[in-house]
Amino acid sequence: MTQKLLTIGAGICMAALPLLAHHSFAAEFDGNKPVKLSGTMTKLEWTNPHIWLYLDVKDEAGNVAKWQCEGGPINTLTRNGWTKEALKPGDQVTIEGWLAKDGSKTCNARSVKLPDGKSVFAGSSNGEYR
Amino acid sequence: MKSTILLAVLFAISAVAQNAPKPPMGPVPRLADGKPDLSGVWDRPYVPDMSKTGKNQEGLSELPFTEWGLAQWKNYHAEEGDYTGACLPFGLVRSINSPMPMQVVQNTKYASLDFEVDNWFQVVPIDGRAHRKQEPTWSGDSVGHWEGDTLVIDTINFNGKTKLDTIGHPHSNQLHVIQRWTRTDLGHISYEITIDDPKTYTKPWKNTRTFTLRPDWEIMEYSCEENNKSLWEGRIKVPKY
Repeated sequence: MTQKLLTIGAGICMAALPLLAHHSFAAEFDGNKPVKLSGTMTKLEWTNPHIWLYLDVKDEAGNVAKWQCEGGPINTLTRNGWTKEALKPGDQVTIEGWLAKDGSKTCNARSVKLPDGKSVFAGSSNGEYR
Repeated sequence: MKSTILLAVLFAISAVAQNAPKPPMGPVPRLADGKPDLSGVWDRPYVPDMSKTGKNQEGLSELPFTEWGLAQWKNYHAEEGDYTGACLPFGLVRSINSPMPMQVVQNTKYASLDFEVDNWFQVVPIDGRAHRKQEPTWSGDSVGHWEGDTLVIDTINFNGKTKLDTIGHPHSNQLHVIQRWTRTDLGHISYEITIDDPKTYTKPWKNTRTFTLRPDWEIMEYSCEENNKSLWEGRIKVPKY
């Protein structure tokens, strides 16, 4: 149970804490509008104040929509042992997060997962987070 | 909703922080003049809301707003203007409240407070001198003096353009901040911050915290301007002052 709580906590931290570090969540995103996106990574910007993930999401009719999602700052991710090599163009990812308030195809990424269920940029091997 | 998210964050921090390595043990290090040396990289509790209490942080649940202060608080909406999102200076109190670590570099005349967040810093004279006379600034004018083994940093002359914390608690240009830094042993600082702002609050109020030494960390570059897409693409607004 403790481990589960730690995992959940780390997941929340990775999404909300770095974001709030730089600016208010409410300034940009809507906590009442969760979103789940599955698609193909096209680009990763390993930058501050946040990393950005770009992905193509295909609907049932085959139409492709281009999305962008904000992640944490490099500093926090680096202290947790992550590098920009963790994701590369062509990777299939599922991102859960919240939509931007402006209606654009923009999200704040609460979690990023690979097809095998492994989380990327969320939590670290020792659970330490700041 | 924003309160729910902030509570979730505070919970998450307290949960995962349990896995941080134990801080080093030992006596309080001292400079040649015998005063405590606060130098080191410090892990501090992230305080997005100073009215909340969490791990290593004791807040004040009911802030004593004046009528003016309460109106400021109720009328603040981050989506209408978010100064840190616009890469404007965090200011002293919000820097202290930020989640990223800070480093203190100290000699007998100065203590440099080096915040990783946006790489802001403030060099504080700690030799007991009086406040400077200058135009108000984002982080105010700080001077320090010793009360026994406690470094007291007194800050005035703020421009009033910042918020105290992420959730947006207000202050005015009458803000007067008193920080009390006490290194209790090698690995810890007992920290107290008092908010004294008669325009915004009917009486002074404070938070008390514990900072933990992280000898395994160094302060990193953190650029707000490098890729602030949210501002460039219009999702974050620059506040109107």
